[in-house]
Amino acid sequence: MIDLDMGAYAGFVWPAWAISTIALAALAARALIADRRWNAELKQLDTDTDAARAQTGQGLLAPKTRAQAVRSAVAPRK
Amino acid sequence: MFLANPDRFLRFTRPLTPALWGLTAVLLAVGTWLAFIAPEDYQQGDTVRIMFVHVPAASVGLMIYAVLGVSSFFALVFRHPLADAAARAAALPGAAYTALALITGSLWGRPMWGAWWVWGDARLMSELVLLLFYIGYMALRASIDDEAKATRAAAILGLVGLINLPIVKFSVDWWNTLHQPASLMRANGPSVTADILAPLLTMMAAYGVFFLAVWITSIRTEIVRRRVLTLRARSAHEA
Repeated sequence: MIDLDMGAYAGFVWPAWAISTIALAALAARALIADRRWNAELKQLDTDTDAARAQTGQGLLAPKTRAQAVRSAVAPRK
Repeated sequence: MFLANPDRFLRFTRPLTPALWGLTAVLLAVGTWLAFIAPEDYQQGDTVRIMFVHVPAASVGLMIYAVLGVSSFFALVFRHPLADAAARAAALPGAAYTALALITGSLWGRPMWGAWWVWGDARLMSELVLLLFYIGYMALRASIDDEAKATRAAAILGLVGLINLPIVKFSVDWWNTLHQPASLMRANGPSVTADILAPLLTMMAAYGVFFLAVWITSIRTEIVRRRVLTLRARSAHEA
């Protein structure tokens, strides 16, 4: 049976759970929003790059080159 | 080493990430349910329910610093960019968990000890130092514009902070503290009854898996962010 009556300790138990819930929710929201934002940005950039290359007749970025771009993107800047 | 390749890391973690988020939701729901059907403690009364959020935050917060320290080592010695992304992604959840441990511990300490905070207590002080290391790590990274220099400086600070981990863990054994000694990781088994142990372990698992979900999502985001910055720089150069 769920016991939600914290009696004299309600003023300590509920704030502890509330703060924990808020902190975890904020961490999750921050991580997921950033993930969505940067992936959307990458998709947009890929579309723009492909369109620009198609216009100039340079062709699309080859898959191998894309993979190289990922690798070079995580390398530390000198 | 298999996941050291960013391409492989992205491919491998694509199905793993939603699974971790799903598992977190299930564990948190079950843990919360178990926490509120557990009986009151004969000494602590209902304040024992604070332990179900305090202990997981404190123990996982400590483990996260070990992750940050090991990642910093690989970033500094092998200059592996994924290790740097891993260290960076661990800092904020680690700081949040440690801050939660201090706040919820304070909320438990007031009715049980009669004090919100005890300055002379070794466990409390070493936990506060841990939070300062996390904050210092993030502040140092943010204060240096050059990414390579920021990586190096933050990695050194991350490694120095590892010294504090055994101090936090063994502070209750080495010094006479108000904080109670370890009740889970003991040579002769946990000193906690099964009624309390079940929600405690479930919530610890929930906090651990939640960290993994946030951490891996953030590493993936960091890879994509750096890729965007590289592509932007490349297209600016071509233009």
